[in-house]
Amino acid sequence: MTAFKDIEERLKEKAKDLLEKGEVECVFAYGRGYDERHPRPYVAKTKEDAENLVFNEYCTFNLARYAVKEPRKKIAVAAKGADSRALVQLIQEGKLKRENLVILGIPAAGMVDAKSGLTLDEKTTGAFANPVVYDVLLGDKLPEAKNSPYEVLGELEGLSGDGRWEFWRKEFARCLRCFACRKACPMCYCDPCFMDQSRPRWADKSPTLDGNTMYHLTRFYHLAGRCVDCGECTRACPVDIPLYLFHKRLAKDCEEMFNQAAGMKLEDKPVLVDFRVEDGDEILL
Amino acid sequence: MDFEPKILGIACNWCTYTGADLAGTTRLKYPQNIRVVRVMCSSRINPSFIFRAFQLGADGVLVGGCHPGDCHYGTGNMYARRRLAITKKMLEFAGIEPGRFRVEWISASEGNRFAEVVGEFTGQVKGLGPQTKLKIKTD
Repeated sequence: MTAFKDIEERLKEKAKDLLEKGEVECVFAYGRGYDERHPRPYVAKTKEDAENLVFNEYCTFNLARYAVKEPRKKIAVAAKGADSRALVQLIQEGKLKRENLVILGIPAAGMVDAKSGLTLDEKTTGAFANPVVYDVLLGDKLPEAKNSPYEVLGELEGLSGDGRWEFWRKEFARCLRCFACRKACPMCYCDPCFMDQSRPRWADKSPTLDGNTMYHLTRFYHLAGRCVDCGECTRACPVDIPLYLFHKRLAKDCEEMFNQAAGMKLEDKPVLVDFRVEDGDEILL
Repeated sequence: MDFEPKILGIACNWCTYTGADLAGTTRLKYPQNIRVVRVMCSSRINPSFIFRAFQLGADGVLVGGCHPGDCHYGTGNMYARRRLAITKKMLEFAGIEPGRFRVEWISASEGNRFAEVVGEFTGQVKGLGPQTKLKIKTD
């Protein structure tokens, strides 16, 4: 495994190189925050800016989020495993063009959630350590995760229907409707979001349990077959709602029913805008 | 008094709705619990319609479309099949009884089938009792 310091050095070097040659207009990566534990997303526009880039175990942000609405044409993005899947998914959806992207792949294991201090692995989010698509790899490839990313669901799946509803009801009731999950998610690019529509008004505007349930269920559905399990929604949540559990479950269902995981191959189509005649009616039972 | 469930039926214009029409013109009896909404194609159905229906007091939702391969628009129900399959899994994982949601392919000539499905589904939802989990509480 390449040390974070080495990755940081290579990231700086590569960014400087790309900006100097004018191959890209900017580089999306990580910059210093107010302390070591809190780096922040950073856009390097000149080769002097590239000096400010950092990379450490707290750089969990998914930079695909920033790439999706970027008006500049040619950009470079630093992407860890799940982030590169997000980029692939956005390319599949026609939101980004592969030829306009330089993907700086970062094989990263042992990332740490700054808030909880927990190490991220397949048990939580971001099971894919190695980027799936990249132009430059800034470290040595890592061995693939041993455990299935869906193992963590076992506990919730073991509950009865009423038990699960009780669990989700309690979680949804705590939601403040701050929309941090929506802001952090690289796939949530709808403008306007269904929650911001007033005709039809899908849910009441104030954070009530019913409105929260509608918001989260619909958001889960909108991300079905698209969620790349980066876990940014969960880390962004100020009240720590474990949104990733539902996303994971839908990803698992999509994989089981349609044999395709989100954002793995550039030539795939997202599962819900695709169909096969041989899907069969069993999936509806 | 016995519990009479409220069931939302969402039927595609070309098959299931016409099938329901046929059930009516041939004077077939089926439970009055279903309220049918016509859409042009089963792929018109946004899964949020289903969540919203449950929130607004439906005890069950029945979706009807053309048989796969017979869609008036060619492939609409193929997309709908994937979407509704996910919706069903979602309801299940959220803890809503999956028996409250059903998708059936009923063609325009299957009036009997329509009456049969509505009868069966109404019985099933009756067995599950009132849907209180998603329903918006007004008090």
